[in-house]
Parts: sequence; C-alpha cells; structure tokens
Amino acid sequence: MKYVMSRLLYAILVLWIVGTILFFMFRLMPGSPLAAFIDQTTTLEQQQALIARFGLDKSLFQQYTIFLQNALQGDLGQSFFHRRPVTEVVMEALPNTVILTLSGLVVAYIFGVLAGAYLAWRRGSAVEGIGIPLALATRAAPEFWLGMVMLAFFSFHLGWFPAGGANSVGLEYDNEWRRIFTVDYLHHLILPVLTLAIYLQGLPLLLMRSNMIEILQEEFITMSKMKGLGSRTIVLNHAARNAMLPVATAFALGIGSAIGGNVVVETIFSWPGIGRLLVNAVSASDYPLAQGAFMIITAVLVAMNFVADMTYHLLDPRIRHAASN
Amino acid sequence: MSTTRRKFLGTSASAALIASLAGVPKAAFAQSVTPVRPLTLYSRAQAANPQQYQAAELIAQAWGDLGLDVTVSGLPQNQLSDVVWYNRDSWDVSMWQMVGRPERSDPDDFVSNLFHSANIESGYNFVGYNNPEYDRVAEAQRLVVDRDARQALIYEAQDIVNADQPYVFLVYPTKSYAYNTTVFDEATLVNQPGLGIKNFLSFIAVEPLGDQKDLIMNVSNELNAINPYYISGAGDSWMTELIWDRIMRIGADGLPTPWAAQSVTWNDAGTEATIVIREGLSFHDGMPVRVEDMIFSLESPQRAGVAPMYKPFVDPIVALEKLDDSTFTVTLAQPNAAFETSTLSKVNIVPEHIWAPLLDALVEGETAESVLEDSRIGSGPFKFDRWNQSEVVLSAIPDHFAAAKVERVIMRVVLNVEASLGMLRSGELNFLTDYTGDPELLMEAAAADNQIAVVDVTDIGFQFLGFNCRRAPFDDPAFRRALSFAINRRLIAGAAYNGFARPANSHVSPALPFWYNAATEELPVGIDVATAMLEDAGYSIVDGKLNYPAGVTEQY
Repeated sequence: MKYVMSRLLYAILVLWIVGTILFFMFRLMPGSPLAAFIDQTTTLEQQQALIARFGLDKSLFQQYTIFLQNALQGDLGQSFFHRRPVTEVVMEALPNTVILTLSGLVVAYIFGVLAGAYLAWRRGSAVEGIGIPLALATRAAPEFWLGMVMLAFFSFHLGWFPAGGANSVGLEYDNEWRRIFTVDYLHHLILPVLTLAIYLQGLPLLLMRSNMIEILQEEFITMSKMKGLGSRTIVLNHAARNAMLPVATAFALGIGSAIGGNVVVETIFSWPGIGRLLVNAVSASDYPLAQGAFMIITAVLVAMNFVADMTYHLLDPRIRHAASN
Repeated sequence: MSTTRRKFLGTSASAALIASLAGVPKAAFAQSVTPVRPLTLYSRAQAANPQQYQAAELIAQAWGDLGLDVTVSGLPQNQLSDVVWYNRDSWDVSMWQMVGRPERSDPDDFVSNLFHSANIESGYNFVGYNNPEYDRVAEAQRLVVDRDARQALIYEAQDIVNADQPYVFLVYPTKSYAYNTTVFDEATLVNQPGLGIKNFLSFIAVEPLGDQKDLIMNVSNELNAINPYYISGAGDSWMTELIWDRIMRIGADGLPTPWAAQSVTWNDAGTEATIVIREGLSFHDGMPVRVEDMIFSLESPQRAGVAPMYKPFVDPIVALEKLDDSTFTVTLAQPNAAFETSTLSKVNIVPEHIWAPLLDALVEGETAESVLEDSRIGSGPFKFDRWNQSEVVLSAIPDHFAAAKVERVIMRVVLNVEASLGMLRSGELNFLTDYTGDPELLMEAAAADNQIAVVDVTDIGFQFLGFNCRRAPFDDPAFRRALSFAINRRLIAGAAYNGFARPANSHVSPALPFWYNAATEELPVGIDVATAMLEDAGYSIVDGKLNYPAGVTEQY
C-alpha cells in the first residue's frame, strides 16, 4: 500500500510539474493568441478588451493560480480558437486518436514479439540477416516518408484504401459510436494503422529478440531441450513468456508516447485526432487548447507509467521485496 | 584591366573619390559615413510557404551584392503577424501577401486601404507609408462615379506607388484549380476574373453529368469559424458566402449586380441608393427576408465593437430608412464609387430575429465574431448541415431563386497537399479548390488522367516585400527604389514559383485589365541599375558594406 501511495504521489507531482512547464512555455513563446483570433483591422481598444476577456491582462502568477485551480476541478478552460471548452474539443478528437494509437501499437507489438522471438531462435541464419536490417530500416525511416509511400502505393496506385479522413465523404451518423463501428471507418483506419505499426514495430522486435537471446542461454532452456520438448514449445511456452516482461512495459509506455506522437500520421492521412488539434493550437497560440491537449497526453502517459509500475510490482517479487524494505 | 562601376563602388577609393567630388575632405568622409545595420528579412516559415521563403532568399542574395547584410527569418503566420502587424516599429523588411477576394475585383480595397496614411497606426498600412498626394488621389477615386475619370485616378495612384516603392511587388501568383470532367459539365463552370473557376457563381451554376450530385472540394487548413460577422479564413469565407445572401454579388464580368435586391438605384449625386428587395426570399428557418433584416445587417456592424472586420465596409453609411415593405434607402455622406462592390456585395444578410438577441447578449470585450451560432441560418442557395474536424456539409435549397444544380457542397479538410491531388484522381474529391503544391505535379496529373482538367488564373492578390517606411534607411524613397530595382522579379517567378506567377509592380493586378496600369511594367532591374541609383542618392559601398550618405547616422 505504501508503494502504491508513493507511486501515486509521484504521478501527481509529475503532472503538476508538466502542467507548470506547459503553462509558462506557451506564454513565453513568441506570437500572440490575438494574432490568430482577431482581424488585423481591429482597433487597439478592441484588442485590449479581448485581452481582458481572455484573462491575459492579469499577471502571469494570477493566470497560473487560476489555471491550477481550474485544472484541479477538471476545467481546462475555453479554447481561444474554437471558442468551446477545451475538454469538449479534445474529447471529440480523443476517440479517433486512441483507436488509431491502440490499433497501431497492438499490430506493431504482436508482429514485433513474434518476429523478435523468431529471429532470436533463428540467430545467425539468412532470415536474421535480412530481417534485422529491414526492421532497423523501417524503424529509422521518417514517418512522413513512410506514410507517403503507403499512400502512393496502396491508395493512389492500387486504389485499395481511401487517402484521407476517418469516414467517407458526406456520410452522417446518429452518434460517435455508430460512426466508429462501421466497415467504412475500418477501411479508413487501415492505412494509418499500418503506417504507425511499421514505424513502431522496431522497438518490440529488437527488444524481444535481445531478451530472447539472453533467455535462450539460460539453463532451464537447456533443460527443456534435454527433456526433448519441441522447438515451438520451448520458444513460445518457455523462452518467449519470460522475455515478454520488458516488452509489456514498453507497450504500456508506448501508448502514452504514441498518443502524442501521432501528429505526423494524422496530418498525412487527414485523420481527425488530437495530433492535428495540437499542431493547430500551437500555431494559433491557443494556450488553453495546447495546454489541455498536452495535459491529457501527459495524464495518459503518467497513468500508463503507473500501471506499468503496478504490473511490475505484482509480477516481479524482487521489486515487491525491495519496495517493502 | 577593366573595372565595372559596381566593383569600383565596392572599394574605399570610390568612397574617397565620391567624397572629394562632393567637396568633402577624405578624412572627414571616412569619419562621417555609417554602414547600414544588418537587416532581418521576415518571411513565412519555409515549410508553410516555400515559394515565399525562396523568394526571400533570392532577395537577400541580391541585396547582399549591394553590400547589405541580410538574414532571412522564417516564422509561423501568427508570429509573423505579431512582429510585423502588432509591433509596427520593431522590424525593417518583411515578406507579405494580399489575397484575391470577389470584392477586390474593384481596386478600391487595395488602393484606399493599403497606403492611405489614416491606416498607419492599426489598419492595413502596416508599412507606415505616408504621402499626402497619394491620400488625395485615393480619396478622390472613391468620389468619382465616371469610370474613365476614376480609371485615370487609379492609374495615378499606381504611378505614385511605383515612384515611391513602399512595397516591392514581386509576383501575381497563378492559381490552379482542377476538377473531374466526368462529374461536371465544363461549360457550366464560371471563370471569374482574378478568381478563376472556384467562385460563388460556379458553385451554383455547375451541372453534374451523372449520378454524383455532390460537389466535393478541399481546403488545406483547419477552419476557424463559419460566422456571418467574421472573415476568418479562406475556406471559412467560401462557406459563408454560400449560406448567407448579399444585397449584390460580383458577377461573371467582375462588376456588382443586384442579388437579394431586385434593384439598386442611385440618385444623381451618387449619395443615396434606393434598394428594392427581391420578392419571395426566405431564410432557411422559413422566416421571410424583410427590409428590416437588410437594414439590421447594414446597421449592426456600425455599432462599436460588434463586427470589427465589417465596420469599415459600413462606415460610409450615414442613414438607413425603410420606405415600405419592399424598399429602403441607404444614404452616404459622399459619393462612393466602390460602395456596391465593397459593401453591398460584401455584407451578409442575417436574420434579425436570430442575431438581435445574440448581439444584445454580448458582454464587454465580446464581438459578434465570438458568437457560436449552431444553426447558422442564412437565406443563401445552400443551408448549413454540419461541420466537424473532417468536413463541412451544405445542402442546396431547391426553391432558392438561384437554386444550385448540385445537391450538396462538401468541403473536406485535407492537410496533406499531395494527398489532395491523389484524392482528386481517386474520386474522393471532384473539385480541387485549394492546391498549394507544385503546379508541375498538377499539370502532370492532368496530362496522365484525361478526366482531370486544370484551369489557371492570374490572381487579384499579390506577393510582396514591405519596407518599414518609419525606419531609416527605408524612409528614403530613393533607397527603397534602388533596393526594389535590384530584385529580378522574373527570376523569382521562374525559380520560386516554377513559372506559375507573373512579375508584379503594382497593387492593382492585371487580372483587372480596366484598372491595371501597364506602364508600371516598365521596370529597370539589375544590380548595376540599383548601384547607380544608390550612388545618385549619396549612398556608398565601402569595403563591401553599404553606407548611408555622408553625415547621415544610423538610428537603430
């Protein structure tokens, strides 16, 4: 319980620090929110009135205090650009981003774990000679380039998938869930997910492979071989299960970082998610929206970190023991 | 060994010679000349506007040959606005652009607003150009109703600007639009001067050929607002003008013509218009469009703080009076030649029963621009259906007096410009209305696919470099002229714009042939020309550095 409480306090501290940095970072950036918000012919008096309405006439410390008070109550303010509550704007885009991210991560990690285990088992073979450079190349390729190649081949050349958006043009749905659970949505999702998965698969593949190589040297693997177990049983039931612990941690952390890192994929495929909102908010100096979107991403990342810590705590007796001491 | 004038000017000996010819002792000259400070040339960021950034680099290179130390600084749009527009004393030179809009098919907007001294503090004259002679001409052209007499004044305004060069006009970009020829009947598209085929008239006139009845266009930026009191962006404006009618519209000939009005008649003095409204017009909620709605639409932006963007358009109005249920008068303080174009063709007709309570509820500091009206009720040929992060959907009103032939207009937000071209080819779009990519790629796509037609048009708008005329040495017209004439516009049009632009030297585009002063094209350019002009104005290049005339010192 003490361990859980300490991790929880740590998570809250991280959120506060990130929130504080975000608050001051956006206000110290060059550019005024007014530049994107009002017309260039607006008089100086009108500009002053708008500054007052946004609360930008208050001291930075006062603004910071208000921001913290509101954030504690779950109120992330009003977007300057959209003129709606930040939470409402972010929540509209969040499902699309979560679906894209989770799908991309799941595909990347399933492929990465299986391919990593296989390449470790076939160490020194021609398959490894081709597989490792290929994994490294796709990991190192710029996401934008990868997305454009996918678009050019699968969409423009073969015509298998649409080139942008989350739904076909002009289709209307009663509610968000009905929109998401359609074949049309899935059809639009495939290319961005594949792009994201190809970009993300390198980490689990290489991590799994290196863990597997270590574990395959362990005595219990030699024992399994001596017992006459088949290769598949040894790899999947004994080695892979033990090698997966760090990969599971990486997956949890990957959810948080990938939600914030989808800006490029969302832009290439015009996917209506948080990444696009972020780019727009930053370029329009929409402080509340940019702060809110980053805070939500941070919260997801911190929550996933917390889950990873708890999972480790439950799964690994050494950590449990160290914590109790 | 031959020595060119430019090379000679770049030596200390030249400075001494100039000084001796001017009767200034060599030692005194050496002490009195001050080099021009290093300059920052602001531009949009390279990723956001590669053409503008490349043009800035070419300019910096040319000015470097004159002995100036120029650094190009690319900034995002809002940061650039913050530096150039909101801190008007803080910069030296900046790239900028003016975009074409239907109401700019009359030259008044550019001629009156860009360079009139009344707009120096917070209006469009952000470069701080102040010439009483120009002010006189700009004001006079508004009062002259005779087109030929007004043309002479517009020509004169262009001549003054050409002589003073407050801007370095660079190019009139060529806008390219493309559409699917199997979806739309080519003959029904309207090609409007300076605007091309993407315009209001095309959207209502274009006829579908087959089962696809939706006009699916693209926009490459996120939308800001769809609000009849707010000119918030290009894509936003395309939607606004389809939803809300106007008293007049700019016709295919570029001239204003009655639209929601049956007639607009002026008295002999040109100060009072009698407007008869079109019969049977109704808003999308079924309420009739009344004289009161039209008066409200013209009167409400006049109130302080309600609609800052529309206020300048309605400021010339001194009285609005209802005569009967179909007629009202608009009285101006003085004749205004551009009033039909810049006001009656610009102001959206809003329903008083919806907007009066909304405007009354505005609190201190709020304007109509910040009102989020969910229903967006207008009387235009299309009604608002929905808007989300991916698209805006409008449906045609079948019983509108100018009912559209398409069933819906759908504007897709496509941030990836290459994807938008691919979507046109795959059929996900059928009208490419916002293409900012390489024009060569578009031409290649059209050549490879016989279903795609491309239509080019020279823009009413232009790309330019603004000098901050408040700050030395840019307060000296001779210096500005020399720097302007050092720039090779043809090179910029060819290299930065891939040939899809026309060299510019006027704030009136050749897209408006009646108003365009072709004499401004006679522009002597080159480093040698510029050097000679600087030399004549007393500037000197010493050891590769450009110096102020003797006795003039650096102020910044």
